[in-house]
Amino acid sequence: MENKLKSLRNLIERELQEIKDSGKLEELKNKYLGRKGELNQILKGLKDLAESERPRLGQLANEVKEELAVLFAKSEKVWSSKGQAEDLDPSLPGIKNEVGTLHPSTLVQYEIESAFSQMGFAVYDGPQLESDYYNFTALNIPADHPARDTQDTFWLEGNNLLRTHTSNLQVRMLQKYGAPFRGIFPGRVSRYESTDASHDHTFFQLEGLMVDKDITIGNLIATMKALLSAVFKREVDVRLRPGFFPFVEPGFEMDIKCLVCEGKGCSVCKQSGWVELMPCGMVHPKVLEAGNIDSKIYSGFAFGLGLTRMVMMKYRIDDIRLLESGDLRFLKQF
Amino acid sequence: MYLSLNWVKEWLKLPKDLNPHDLANALTMSTVEVEEIIDQSKNLDKIVVGKIKELSAHPQADRLQVCQVDLGETTEQIVCGGSNLSKGMLVAVAKVGSQVKWHGQGELVTLETVKIRGIESNGMIAASSEIGLGDLFPSTDEKEILDLTHFHFKVGQNLSTALDLNDIIIDIDNKSINHRPDLWGQYGLARELAAIYRLKLNSYTVKDLPDPKSEIKLKAEVEAKDKCYRYLTVALKNVTVAPSPWWLKNKLKAVGIRSINNIVDVTNYVMYELGQPMHAFDAQAVVGHQLRVISAKKGDKFVTLDGVKRRLTEDCLMIADSEKYLAVAGVMGGQNSEINSATKDIILEVANFKASSIRKASTVIALRSESSSRFEKSLDPRLTELALQKAVELILNLNEEAYLASAVVDIDNNPFAKLTLEVPEDLINARFGQIIPTKDIKDILTRLQFGVEYKKKIFTISVPSFRATKDISIPEDIVEEVARCYGYDNLTPSLPQVALRQPILDVEHDAAKSVRFYLALSQGYNEVYTYPFANMLWAEKLDLKVSQHLKMTNTLTQDLAYLNLSLLPNLLARAEENLRFFKNFKIFELERTFDKSKKSAFATDANQDKFLPLQNKHLSGLEVSATSSERAFLQMKGTLQSLQHLWQIDWTWEKIELVHSQVAFQLKNQGLILGTCGIFNDAILADNKFKVKIAWWDFDFSTVLKYISQNKFYQSLSKFPSINRDLAILIDKNILWEDLEKELKKVSPLLIKVEPFDVFTGTGIPDGKKSLAFHLEFKSTDKTLESEDADNLLAEIKQLLNSKFSAILRQ
Repeated sequence: MENKLKSLRNLIERELQEIKDSGKLEELKNKYLGRKGELNQILKGLKDLAESERPRLGQLANEVKEELAVLFAKSEKVWSSKGQAEDLDPSLPGIKNEVGTLHPSTLVQYEIESAFSQMGFAVYDGPQLESDYYNFTALNIPADHPARDTQDTFWLEGNNLLRTHTSNLQVRMLQKYGAPFRGIFPGRVSRYESTDASHDHTFFQLEGLMVDKDITIGNLIATMKALLSAVFKREVDVRLRPGFFPFVEPGFEMDIKCLVCEGKGCSVCKQSGWVELMPCGMVHPKVLEAGNIDSKIYSGFAFGLGLTRMVMMKYRIDDIRLLESGDLRFLKQF
Repeated sequence: MYLSLNWVKEWLKLPKDLNPHDLANALTMSTVEVEEIIDQSKNLDKIVVGKIKELSAHPQADRLQVCQVDLGETTEQIVCGGSNLSKGMLVAVAKVGSQVKWHGQGELVTLETVKIRGIESNGMIAASSEIGLGDLFPSTDEKEILDLTHFHFKVGQNLSTALDLNDIIIDIDNKSINHRPDLWGQYGLARELAAIYRLKLNSYTVKDLPDPKSEIKLKAEVEAKDKCYRYLTVALKNVTVAPSPWWLKNKLKAVGIRSINNIVDVTNYVMYELGQPMHAFDAQAVVGHQLRVISAKKGDKFVTLDGVKRRLTEDCLMIADSEKYLAVAGVMGGQNSEINSATKDIILEVANFKASSIRKASTVIALRSESSSRFEKSLDPRLTELALQKAVELILNLNEEAYLASAVVDIDNNPFAKLTLEVPEDLINARFGQIIPTKDIKDILTRLQFGVEYKKKIFTISVPSFRATKDISIPEDIVEEVARCYGYDNLTPSLPQVALRQPILDVEHDAAKSVRFYLALSQGYNEVYTYPFANMLWAEKLDLKVSQHLKMTNTLTQDLAYLNLSLLPNLLARAEENLRFFKNFKIFELERTFDKSKKSAFATDANQDKFLPLQNKHLSGLEVSATSSERAFLQMKGTLQSLQHLWQIDWTWEKIELVHSQVAFQLKNQGLILGTCGIFNDAILADNKFKVKIAWWDFDFSTVLKYISQNKFYQSLSKFPSINRDLAILIDKNILWEDLEKELKKVSPLLIKVEPFDVFTGTGIPDGKKSLAFHLEFKSTDKTLESEDADNLLAEIKQLLNSKFSAILRQ
């Protein structure tokens, strides 16, 4: 009987929660609490119980009865107030405040900046319209250097140019702030190339430069591994392989272990397990000297992160030209 | 650059079990970037030598024949439309399952058994271009089948085996060997592989030159001494220009070169083997058998081998005889002295030119060649001797009648002295970040053919001549050589241990970030980025002077011709495009603009005496809405007033007249213009079918930064309640709110706020009038105002409105 009482209580509680109109409520009340209702049917059994059991179960029966009365009273209150409310269709779409959006490049730039600044890299800015000297010559790329071929340049009247990389700020910043130096320079660069879904003539880079005493290749790897883990919000693995850039010596390409297949090989990494991420290297002594830094005392590393490529990776954007299209159908998604 | 494994095997024994992917990976990790591995035999998979046993006309098609082809183990029936089919002919048969290109074009398709006009065909008798051999076996007619009869191949064998097309070719990214002149030939690549795999490298052998007959008096003269470091030339007589033998064609194919004839092919062969370009002239075309290395005269014209007439400048180094130009030195020969089928005598030239000079000339005449791209990397002048000997050896081998007809003329201006570097062991370890055992350093450098001596922790390193022209010049270069061969994977990374430093306050960065978030997240703006190039159509509509725009000097298209003087033209162009999908929107951009007429504070170099053009950042926005001009303006004004609050700048609004705008204001602070704003004329859009208004604003952000105030202080909350009253009046429609407000404020300092909430004209309002309703708020700072006080002031205000503005009170 004890079990019967308890399961009846649970059953009623459940059914009360499921009712959809006040008619049903009335029906349930008659079914369970009416004179011939199920509760009374159970209570009739009290008289058949052993003498010793009767007081305890009698008390339990009363408790259940009161409990059910409260439950029914609450449901009646809920259902009696429904009629007075205004008509309301909560399934209509929510009314939103008109809020704008930041450009995806801005979002990713600020995200990366905050990871760097936690490691003490300050953010610096400088000219986008640059002189031949700071974009090339000061970086150990004299006028007839073949490396100029790999960076087709937009030239301007007055023999100036649109910077082809954010590395243009390396010597500017060293001249201005001296050593030790730790900074990043995000910004737009331009290359005179034809455009398609994966190439645009204007895009974002993020340059990093650290100059201090006893800076090593091992420091570069560790720093980048830490920073990239922060940016990708997971532990990442990187590797260095030789790469040639006139303003670093030694120079490297840094690869990141494929985040899609974890290095097992897939279409994203062309089965190699690694994805090329950025050029980097130890700052060339000539660059340090152009920045008035004594290369006998100081050494450093520099790297050039493709910010636009990170944006495309993060949001899986398949056409780079959307970024500068100003198309609100695209921009409103961020 | 292609690396042919068959070719390098001439000098080293690669490990038998070496997987090409492992080799590509080893090259990638220690030397260069590999783009692709090409397996020649894979392209000829299931393609075999067949013999046509029987040939009969196709019953249903005039141009097709039905062939029974012997494939060794089987005989297959194949329907073919070839124009040169004959019984007994040896042909290339692409079996069912192989991949071919139909008519040598389009994608590869896999062959299946098919019925061609009712007759079953099991495979294809291929034309050379259909199986990727068009360059080895050029055909004149597209119906011409590849005829292999003269090879006498065994029937049924794989074509790749028969033709010796079983090479593995590693495609190396040219960018990654920009700094390594020694890797532009197969021998140099073999040397690098030997160093990586610790293999024995056979030395490069050439035969001594035979004694010459002095039949040709060859003369050479270098006038431009500073641009030509070595010049070697020799004459040969009695050559027979003919197609090259198969082995030579095949080698050139492996490195991606088309065979031309047995003379030109030898010069190419030597270039691809040693990395040293060379040239052969038809001796008959060289007047007086005299070669001169001179600079071109500006404006002269010259027709290169490819038939293009080139306009020269003084930057072009030329090879000439006593009368005319013969070649653009190091770039390309001339049509006038080209080797042709009638050529009998030739003059060979092997030279070394200054890298920058070749690069300049090749830029001037807009011609990159295999030769110029090698010279511009700074080749080793010593290579010339080997190359000349090798070329003579090969030409004499291929031309039995030929002989050396002159002595070698050798002009040597080699400026590269023997290079020795002193590199402290500490430097290597300090840069690497970990100790590399001394014996490993020695071993690596020796493998790379550096001479190494070690004393008192200092390495004295003699650099081999093929690395000493530019590539290796400072101790850091040696660090790289050691580190890349030791392996970056063997390095344990460690974070730098550096001192703390002062935080850096960056007002501009902080202000840019906060205003971006503010406009996007509180003002409903979408941030856009547009290109730095000006849209000149819109610039003109905005009355911006072309002459103030910076012009590009090397762009060809109109949309890349000028830099932005203002962000507004591009924003307008973007807005116009968006009107196809949206009628109400707001966009902004924060970017640099470029002004030709002013200078920035950025110096062009360390001398600090010349400065770059002004390139201040601007913050500009557009609000596009389908509404009245007044509403559009007031919405935009609200945005700008929010910015005033954000920046704590109390600028003034001065009305100005602009041709493109119906109303416009200058925003000034302490006499300086911070920005401008306005509403464009409706006609600014050529097609404005939605009748939208475009409000615009533009700040010189660099100037705004100077006035952004951090001094925002709290004001104590008033202890005394205020009294609010509303008034509605009818007044002349031309009366401005600001005039009304100014007069009302004069009534009493207790009137702390006057704020309009409804302006109305039209139905029920007399012509020339408007209805204006506004809130008034009275408050005292030192007592609680009584209702009476407010009523008295209100009466005074009503009086004033009536007398000054002839206002009629509304109920």
